Amino acid sequence: MNDENTAPAAAPRHGVDASRRRFLRVATTTGAAIVLSTAAGAPAVSAARSGGHGPGVAGEKDLRVYVLVVDGLRPDEIDPGVTPNLYALRAEGTHFPQARALPVTETLPNHVMMMTGVRPDRSGVPANDVYDRDEGVVRTLDRPSDIRVPTLLERVAGTGRVSGSVLSKEYLYTIFGDRASVRWEPEPLIPVTDHAPDLATKCALSAMVDETDPDLVFVNLGDVDRVGHADLTGTSLGLLRTGALAATDAHVGRFVDELRSSGRWSSSVVMVIADHSMDWSHGHKMISLQAPLEADEALAGKVAIAQNGGADLLTFTGPESERGAAVARMREIALATSGVLSVHSPAKLRLAPDGADLVVYCEAGWRFSDPTPISNPIPGNHGHPATEPIPFFVAGGHPRVRKGVTSSAPATTVDVAPTVGELFALPPVAGGYDGATRHEALFSRSGSAIS
Amino acid sequence: MNRRQVLRTGSLAAVGGAALTGPAVAAGAEQPFRHGVASGDPLPDSVLLWTRLTPSADATPGSGRGVESVVRWEMARDAGFRRIAARGRVPTGPGRDHTVKADVTGLEPDTWYYFRFSWRGATSPVGRTRTAPTAGSAVRSLRFGVVSCSNWQAGHFAAYRHLAERGDLDLVIHLGDYLYEYGAGSGVPRRHDPPVEMTTLEHYRRRHAQYKTDPSLQALHAAAPFAVTWDDHESANDAWAGGAENHTEPDEGTWADRRAASQQAYAEWMPVRYEPGGTLYRRLTFGSLAELSMLDLRSYRSEQVAHPFDGGIHDGERTITGREQLDWLTSGLTTATAQWKLVGNSVMISPVQFPSTLTTREFGAITELVGPVEGVPYNVDQWDGYTSDRAAVLRALRDHGVSGTVFLTGDIHSGWAAELPADPLTYPLSGDAVATELVCTSVTSDNLDDYLNVRPRTLSLVVEAAIKLANPHVKYLDFDSHGFSVLDVTPEQVRMDWFRLADRADPASAAEVTASYRVPAGTGGLERAPRSMDGIVPRYEAATEHARADARSRALARQEER
Repeated sequence: MNDENTAPAAAPRHGVDASRRRFLRVATTTGAAIVLSTAAGAPAVSAARSGGHGPGVAGEKDLRVYVLVVDGLRPDEIDPGVTPNLYALRAEGTHFPQARALPVTETLPNHVMMMTGVRPDRSGVPANDVYDRDEGVVRTLDRPSDIRVPTLLERVAGTGRVSGSVLSKEYLYTIFGDRASVRWEPEPLIPVTDHAPDLATKCALSAMVDETDPDLVFVNLGDVDRVGHADLTGTSLGLLRTGALAATDAHVGRFVDELRSSGRWSSSVVMVIADHSMDWSHGHKMISLQAPLEADEALAGKVAIAQNGGADLLTFTGPESERGAAVARMREIALATSGVLSVHSPAKLRLAPDGADLVVYCEAGWRFSDPTPISNPIPGNHGHPATEPIPFFVAGGHPRVRKGVTSSAPATTVDVAPTVGELFALPPVAGGYDGATRHEALFSRSGSAIS
Repeated sequence: MNRRQVLRTGSLAAVGGAALTGPAVAAGAEQPFRHGVASGDPLPDSVLLWTRLTPSADATPGSGRGVESVVRWEMARDAGFRRIAARGRVPTGPGRDHTVKADVTGLEPDTWYYFRFSWRGATSPVGRTRTAPTAGSAVRSLRFGVVSCSNWQAGHFAAYRHLAERGDLDLVIHLGDYLYEYGAGSGVPRRHDPPVEMTTLEHYRRRHAQYKTDPSLQALHAAAPFAVTWDDHESANDAWAGGAENHTEPDEGTWADRRAASQQAYAEWMPVRYEPGGTLYRRLTFGSLAELSMLDLRSYRSEQVAHPFDGGIHDGERTITGREQLDWLTSGLTTATAQWKLVGNSVMISPVQFPSTLTTREFGAITELVGPVEGVPYNVDQWDGYTSDRAAVLRALRDHGVSGTVFLTGDIHSGWAAELPADPLTYPLSGDAVATELVCTSVTSDNLDDYLNVRPRTLSLVVEAAIKLANPHVKYLDFDSHGFSVLDVTPEQVRMDWFRLADRADPASAAEVTASYRVPAGTGGLERAPRSMDGIVPRYEAATEHARADARSRALARQEER
């Protein structure tokens, strides 16, 4: 059953205008109520669902796409013992073992690349945290206006289809805002991690699919990442992490079972990917650039650091006339610091030009902690190149999905949007995609394989 | 009729219908192309062809005699040479010991070609070669033969014959010790020519020529292109930039002269894109599936330390690669777009700690095996003796999240499969590996049972078990067998099968598969495969389950006694 409300069911989140939302309250099999919001005036239920089928039963529809992001999952963690469902799903579809996340290997930029198909110098989202030159503060890019290009969520909705977002992390929910036709506002949020547990996320996903049967759903499962960050045994046994992997895998397995039992499987494309992987560091392998930068006479008080775990984004805040020399000095100081792997200009990494003056990466087994040595106490981090390898596979019962294929293609997160766009026959975004359609995973519409 | 059937039926003439000598048949001892034909270093649009002309009876290798000549070559899409793809002429003469190298360009990628040479009405045996796939193109599979350490005096090259007869190899990777410098031995199956240790250009040329008369080696060279690198015995044992363990000045001349002679003969007699003064290390690519970086670990290395307790093994100033090659290797690995980064690596890179539970006799035999550096219980001639360079390579792989790196190694006359730990301290708990290493055994060269003078797969089993206990990243070890390996590369996995000869002294020796390990895509780990790529259940470590379990129990008991 569901109830439709026009009044806010919860306090409006930053950047999301409650007045433009409607709410669906959905009862779930666990007894908990799931609240879904929709944009006022937009179809909240797929056209196919409105044909009179009951909840949980698939209507007539020939394509459903589910993009499942298992946040922070490493490709080598998919294992028949710990993650049997992911292992089986990977084996039966098309697997890209060379897949990598793109700089900066953080949650927000890579989710945005997945949904836009363009790199951060066009999307506007180069990292989780940046120094906002206009506001003069380091802030998280969690506002809908931070994404400067259309995403798949509104582009699919714009064709009369229904798109959905089920994003476990608070900042993901807020940055994607009301772009999807139907959204789940993550709750309950766990304090500190600001994410909803995968159990709640999975329930919301099932409820959304049952009730509104979207054509496209973008899902983030946050437990593997959030538990991984905190796993003090991450460098050795990974005890907590292993538990989270098994639990999340079971949720994915149950969702796939539901697709099969509801009759949706034969029309489903299930894309499983991560936004980055994870690397663990011991407490003594921590880099804090704030102190050496402050100790430099020309830089003291003039450098803002946006710390992103495995990457520090440095911005010179002093007079423009000093910027050239100052950036050179910042580079020199960073490279002289133990644990620093490399320093890059944002343009070289295709990041937003106003995001920073320099991007500093750490070596594997290290982490940044800025502005102070106690700012980042967590052992699990990402953002540096060691955390680029990700799992990426395309499964599902849809006849266009190629079965049992492994491809050497260098797939990346930015390939998701062109690939999903191709499935829905969407035209490329203005200026073209930066990513590639992963034809290796798909039969053409005429049924032949495209190599 | 597939390729394998073609070769098993005897010769390509069966297909072409022409009067050709097939690659499985040795060149006639009197004909001008008596050293066979070869090809190597395939690129998408070119491949290097090789032969040696004997224009007159007196123009023997190393003699400096014989007239300047022009040799014709032709390449065709078919064994009958009806569809000619390219043809040309190459001059040769005594200045290059009448060897012939033709770099044929303008070829189609990922394509089999047949080639032959002709001179004054005489035609060479036919060789078959294959170009590499286009860079970045999707490749379904590659199959390579992997060999090393072929000592003429230690036996016959049945391993090469088995590889030639497979008919399914795209390439043969020879990881060095293609020939040995030693003088003629006594009581050996066949004796070296010249009978003295090779130290001069004439010696090196004659020795190369002798090896190239082996019918099994000729058959393999004619069956598929090679990618080769040298190890030490192509010049002298335990060579380094400034000398070698088996080089004595001034009795054997200067090292610079000897090395130059060995390098000139190598450039002349091997199907390799190398000329003296250039670099041997190079990279071949095979579409988006694989690239192969062939290393040169002898030309730039610092002298080996005297013993493993010498702190010099960790000295950052000492090098096994040289700075330029190290930068080339690490930058290549970290920017590679191919899925599998194969590294042709002449000496082992896996760290190996030798356990203190070995007996004095076993210790002595291992010392014999790993090299005659005095009093060395493990091998400082390998990357173990140059830990700074090794750390730089492994560090680069880890820092840049490079997956799919597989070191293919020879030198050590034994079969190994090992993981390269991301962090040796935490590896026993985490099992995290940054790369893997697959080591082929020797074609003929002596190994542990030969040194221990015991029957194969007896005492060595206990030594192997003890080493594996002390080195948990070592998954497979066979110290006794001689033979070859076959490597299968697909987007799903890299897999090596190890084959063992029944009798290295028998040119007609049978071979059996004794292990199959695979590296699944997206992991740095090794898995034992239940069946070989030919569908056979391997007799692992060439021993029964019971014998392996018993050896492990004995190794554990020794450990407890300590």
